Amino acid sequence: MDNSELLFNIQSQLVPKLLNYVLLGIGYMKIFTKCGVKGFWAWIPVAREYHIALCADREKEGRTYTILAAFGYAVSLVSYILQNDGISQAELPVAMIVTLMAFTLFITMLVYLTRIYNGLVKVFNRKKFWVPLLLVLDSIVAPIWGFSKKFQPTKKVVLETEADGAKVAGVDAAVVKDGLTVNIKDRTVIDFFRKRYLLKDIHMSIPKGHMVLLLGGSGAGKTTYVNAVTGYEKADASIVMDGRNVYAEYDRMKYKLGFVPQQDLMRSNDTVQLTLMDAASLRLPSSVHRAEKRKRVQEVLEQFGLTAVKNSLVEKLSGGQRKRLSIAMEFISDPDLFILDEPDSGLDGVVARSLFEKLRAIADQGKIVIVITHTPDRVIDLFDDVIVLAKDKTRTGRLAWYGPVQEAYAFFGKNSMEEILLSINQKEEGGEGRANEFVEKYIDYTKRKVG
Amino acid sequence: MEYMEEVKVSRHTGRLAQMWIYLGKLFRMFIFQSDWKVLPMSAIIAGLVSFAVGRNMFKTMEGTAMGTFALSCVCIWNGFFNSIQSVCRERAIVKREHRSGLHITSYVAAHMIYQAVLCLGQAVIIIIVCNVMGVVFPTKYLTFPVPYLDFVISLFLTTYAADMLALFISSVSRTTTGAMTVMPFLLIIQLVFSGGFFDLPQNVMPLTNLTISKWGLTVLCSQGDYNSLPMTSVWNNVLKMKDVEIEGEKPILELMVKIEKDGRKEEVLMKTAAYNQKEEYRFDPAVVNECWGWLALWIVVYVLLTVISLEMIDRDKR
Repeated sequence: MDNSELLFNIQSQLVPKLLNYVLLGIGYMKIFTKCGVKGFWAWIPVAREYHIALCADREKEGRTYTILAAFGYAVSLVSYILQNDGISQAELPVAMIVTLMAFTLFITMLVYLTRIYNGLVKVFNRKKFWVPLLLVLDSIVAPIWGFSKKFQPTKKVVLETEADGAKVAGVDAAVVKDGLTVNIKDRTVIDFFRKRYLLKDIHMSIPKGHMVLLLGGSGAGKTTYVNAVTGYEKADASIVMDGRNVYAEYDRMKYKLGFVPQQDLMRSNDTVQLTLMDAASLRLPSSVHRAEKRKRVQEVLEQFGLTAVKNSLVEKLSGGQRKRLSIAMEFISDPDLFILDEPDSGLDGVVARSLFEKLRAIADQGKIVIVITHTPDRVIDLFDDVIVLAKDKTRTGRLAWYGPVQEAYAFFGKNSMEEILLSINQKEEGGEGRANEFVEKYIDYTKRKVG
Repeated sequence: MEYMEEVKVSRHTGRLAQMWIYLGKLFRMFIFQSDWKVLPMSAIIAGLVSFAVGRNMFKTMEGTAMGTFALSCVCIWNGFFNSIQSVCRERAIVKREHRSGLHITSYVAAHMIYQAVLCLGQAVIIIIVCNVMGVVFPTKYLTFPVPYLDFVISLFLTTYAADMLALFISSVSRTTTGAMTVMPFLLIIQLVFSGGFFDLPQNVMPLTNLTISKWGLTVLCSQGDYNSLPMTSVWNNVLKMKDVEIEGEKPILELMVKIEKDGRKEEVLMKTAAYNQKEEYRFDPAVVNECWGWLALWIVVYVLLTVISLEMIDRDKR
């Protein structure tokens, strides 16, 4: 390609695209500012697609649209290179694939952009005819929306800063030799251009033989906490179990930390005995002989009341039996720390009570049992301690209480666990929105206690 | 419980032992669940295909092209159905077990062995059914001096490659619905881009190397000695014009009658075939080895992709 052709290409293709990008950038920048988003995002490809979705209160669609936009930029770049270099016969298949991709991508992006602009029109309280206008002439319409004072959003983007969060104690719990010591500084993720704190400042020591309730509203970080404690998703933390660092020795320690998920994740077409036998083969050391494994399976069958149904297919079991089998699968390796995520979901009161009594018996064997449940009050007498996780104003999971059940009632000034949960839940969730207050109160309480 | 103390110091079940555990599970599933149905299903499909296109397979060029293409498609269909749901239907279970110490390589290896047995069974079933339906397989061999063995290997590799592709799709799909939605697209790509049955532009031909159907079709045509077979389509098309009159006479009919009377029809069919031979279908062990090599390569690629995608299973959201 000679210089004149190159100049022509730049003039005919690149300049209009650049101009369109700049005009849209200016428009978006002003719209972002109005919506409470930093204006510079309007100039960063891919990021601006996400932030316009934030302004439109369409965060979920924005995530997909951002990924599509990233592909869109890549496809545009490839097609630009192919166009300018001229397509050889050998490159024709590539060009065909790029064209096909570009076309399907364009349709998908258009659908998502329509959803986002629909949201924007709603947030700015404008009529629907603006949607096609924005779609076709966004580089002209966006600056109008941005500069005109008539166009004002009815809702601003709430971006919590660290200053909005509850204060941090930053004092590590003393490591106990027999038991679990949790010192989580924080657990963060980079989530679409933002660093998000999932958990922060959680410190506690749980002695052996304790059965602990893990209480917290939706999104308070219960699962994140469990994953961090078991080393499944590592946090900036120190987790010590019986004097051994869980993170440093994860490959070996994971067999000592049993986690029972909420769903009964087992193959329904296998028998109870074979399911447990396979679990034993997977979780017990290879040095344990098959006969010993069989013996252990029989013990666990007996302990969880499954002997009568040992030859039944899993799919034939009742809800309670299935739950007990799910727990037994983890218990087969006799873990020192046993964590259960809503083991009573779908069970009636009597069956649930019986299950929790079994868990109490496990704790009484010198194990630590941590249980997440949404109906704690019917079995609260079986628990020693309660961990209360609360979502502070930055939506970070924080520790609002760890200690004996009875003291928790006094601390929160409530008479039941459900009332405690309501007090820390945010107002939009129907709660009292006092999470920050209790997190800070607990920090003061522990400081006083430690002296 | 002495062994509980050993947990602290002992090694846990290794990859090989875990593979055996999962292999046992898969074969139990074969018996207790509906997985066994893939075998009679493959017999039915092979029977239908033999009935429709088997008559001239390995007898004429056209019959062979059509029949081997149909057989490749049967293999791909079987392979896809064998494993398209096998991982995604138990994805959450795999995630739980991975958390408890499952090695993904063991899990995939167990699937590989189990699926290999299924695919081999299906390849043998196809050969048996085709025979029963009157398809005459060539007695000449290129690689192994055992009747049918070359064909069994080709059908097996084609089925197995499709099976491993479906296993990969199953490993990246979150739900069975997702996997089943992707499957028709894959089938269409295999169908259109085989490069042998549908005429494609020359510059698109490199893309055909990516398909299982191309190598399945090529190896079966080569083993069926496609280039030595007569071509009947030219004769049949000319025959359609037998009543065309030129100056009150029917020269085409006369010519054809004469050829038949002289006993030279076969010669004409072979002559027309000679102009339509395809270099890539030559009766040569090198062709077979190349096709088997490509199929094996794709199997390895799909298995690697499956392992990589499943190693990331912990990233699944709840």
